[in-house]
Amino acid sequence: MMVRSKSSRVLRSVVAWGTVLLFAFPLYYWLTVAFKDGKEIFNYPPQVWSFSPTVRNFEEIFGISLGFGFGEQREVLPGGGNWRMAPRLWDSIVIAVLSTGIAVSIATLASYALSRMEFAGRHHFVSWVLSTRMMPPVAVAIPVFFIYKELSLLDTYTGVILIHALMNLPLAVLLMKSFFDDIPHEIDESGMIDGASRFLIFRRIILPMVKGGAAATAVLCFIFSWTEFLFVLTLTQTGLKTVPVVSSTFVTSTGTAWGNMAALGAAAMLPAFLFILLVQKHLVRGLTLGSVKQ
Amino acid sequence: MANVEYRSVGKNFGTVRVLNELSLDIGEGEFVVLLGSSGCGKSTLLRMTAGLETISSGEIAIDGKVVNGVHPRDRNIAMVFQNYALYPTMKVRENIAFSLEVAGKSRDEVNAKVEEAARVLSLTDYLDRKPSELSGGQRQRVAMGRAMVRDAKVFLFDEPLSNLDAKLRAHMRVEIRQLHDRLKATTIYVTHDQIEAMTMADKIVLMQGGGIVQVGTPDDLYDRPATRYVAEFIGSPQINCQEGEIVSDGADVHFKNSEVSLPLPAGYAAHGGTKVTCGIRPNDVQLSEEGAIVGRLKIAEKTGADKQMHLDVNGSEFVAVTPRSTEGVPGDDMRFAVDPGKVHIFDQSSGHRITTTLSGA
Repeated sequence: MMVRSKSSRVLRSVVAWGTVLLFAFPLYYWLTVAFKDGKEIFNYPPQVWSFSPTVRNFEEIFGISLGFGFGEQREVLPGGGNWRMAPRLWDSIVIAVLSTGIAVSIATLASYALSRMEFAGRHHFVSWVLSTRMMPPVAVAIPVFFIYKELSLLDTYTGVILIHALMNLPLAVLLMKSFFDDIPHEIDESGMIDGASRFLIFRRIILPMVKGGAAATAVLCFIFSWTEFLFVLTLTQTGLKTVPVVSSTFVTSTGTAWGNMAALGAAAMLPAFLFILLVQKHLVRGLTLGSVKQ
Repeated sequence: MANVEYRSVGKNFGTVRVLNELSLDIGEGEFVVLLGSSGCGKSTLLRMTAGLETISSGEIAIDGKVVNGVHPRDRNIAMVFQNYALYPTMKVRENIAFSLEVAGKSRDEVNAKVEEAARVLSLTDYLDRKPSELSGGQRQRVAMGRAMVRDAKVFLFDEPLSNLDAKLRAHMRVEIRQLHDRLKATTIYVTHDQIEAMTMADKIVLMQGGGIVQVGTPDDLYDRPATRYVAEFIGSPQINCQEGEIVSDGADVHFKNSEVSLPLPAGYAAHGGTKVTCGIRPNDVQLSEEGAIVGRLKIAEKTGADKQMHLDVNGSEFVAVTPRSTEGVPGDDMRFAVDPGKVHIFDQSSGHRITTTLSGA
């Protein structure tokens, strides 16, 4: 390994930390807004480090009291309403988890076939799958709205889960295919010679090898669904709403409830963070998979 | 145990013909090595035997039964791959047991067979490790263990030693051969390494450009190579080739070029005037004051047991293996003699061996 001088090592740390702070600061500021009182948010110059934290924003959006004194609404909120966001958070979780599950399951099966099996048009299939993502989503949203109306899928979990899974599928297939392609064909062939059927080889040998890849794909699908705005906006009315859509309702004709919006954003990061934490273990394993392979 | 027959087997990849009307019989219990440089079709032939490649024309029969349309899992063969193709998420034990479990064998039987294979291959201590925790040689043995427990009719090896270092390779050569002698299973072994072929094979099939050049025992190929290609492929250091012609002067027959005049057996008299290539193995020459081969020493390599003298003879490289005590510094002229019976003569245009009319050697 190259010997580096002390100054270059220090410089490297400074640049690294600088980059981290650059990305972390907006997140930190957003979090402080979530814990600030209405007036404090607008103080100039902005109070970055010293302010009197309050959980009122959280109490308001979840319609609960955390026991710090503000049980009921203290003043009229912008738009005049009181938001209860816990069910919306739940909607988001259900939709993201299920659509991710569906997308990754189908993508795993499809990409194994694309990676391993010979069939007519196999090579075109991949670009065809990808081409479905080339159209702007808004061009798809309106036709889908009418189709969903006919099928009574508007404003239902099934409808949103399906469209999110569908939107994720091309990317998931492409990603998973690259993970399958990395596994030498000799392993499949060895399984065949050992007497196993194609499905048994897939289930017992190949699938455990792409667990890491599937986890990485799942993270991407989850984040897409978690942050998707357009389709939820067009395909739902009152039955369900996900966090990105409801946070837009904080922007009203009588003002924007910055504190509430920040609180919801902060609360919405938690499930996504937990999900990634759960699959992270497999992610790391996925990265070391290459060294296991002969 | 089974015999394997190839009947006019051909293989095309698209428009490229990689195997050409190849016919070959492999007897029960034989250890056959398919030898050739890369791209000669040897691995393709092996994969066709396993059922991993389709057969474009002709037939392959295992144990008398044509297997052209038979799925690999129904051919009852075992195969060891070049990269071992172990299942990385399974422990060694599960790797070896996989085929038995798939076949629905009882737990006791599976365990007994796995333990036995592990004992034979000295893997007992590693049964509960993952392949990633093993060295190259151990992984190689796991791959062999996986094949061993199968009771397969035919064992196929696809360059199984090429990923190992030289010392381990020599060791594994012996182990594989011993394993064959114990199991007595019909074995087809693909390699590009002539030393592996020479040391392990009952029969070597030397391939070139999608066809068979020569089939025979290692001694056959070494002592009576059918073509110049075979002569150059087999033997280390490589055989020395000199271009020239046969000059027949009544009872005296010589191989001649501008610098070398080598007496040949009288049987070559009928080929007087033929342009030929003369092949002399580096081990078949002796230092001699009256020797017919004169060369200027370029470099003397010590190999430990002996010395390899690299000489310039008539403008081409000539290697002679001499006792380690042989003196010589670059620039010296050295003379070597060779037993006329050990000279290989090939037709220059066709490359085929020219046999003497008397002995047929």
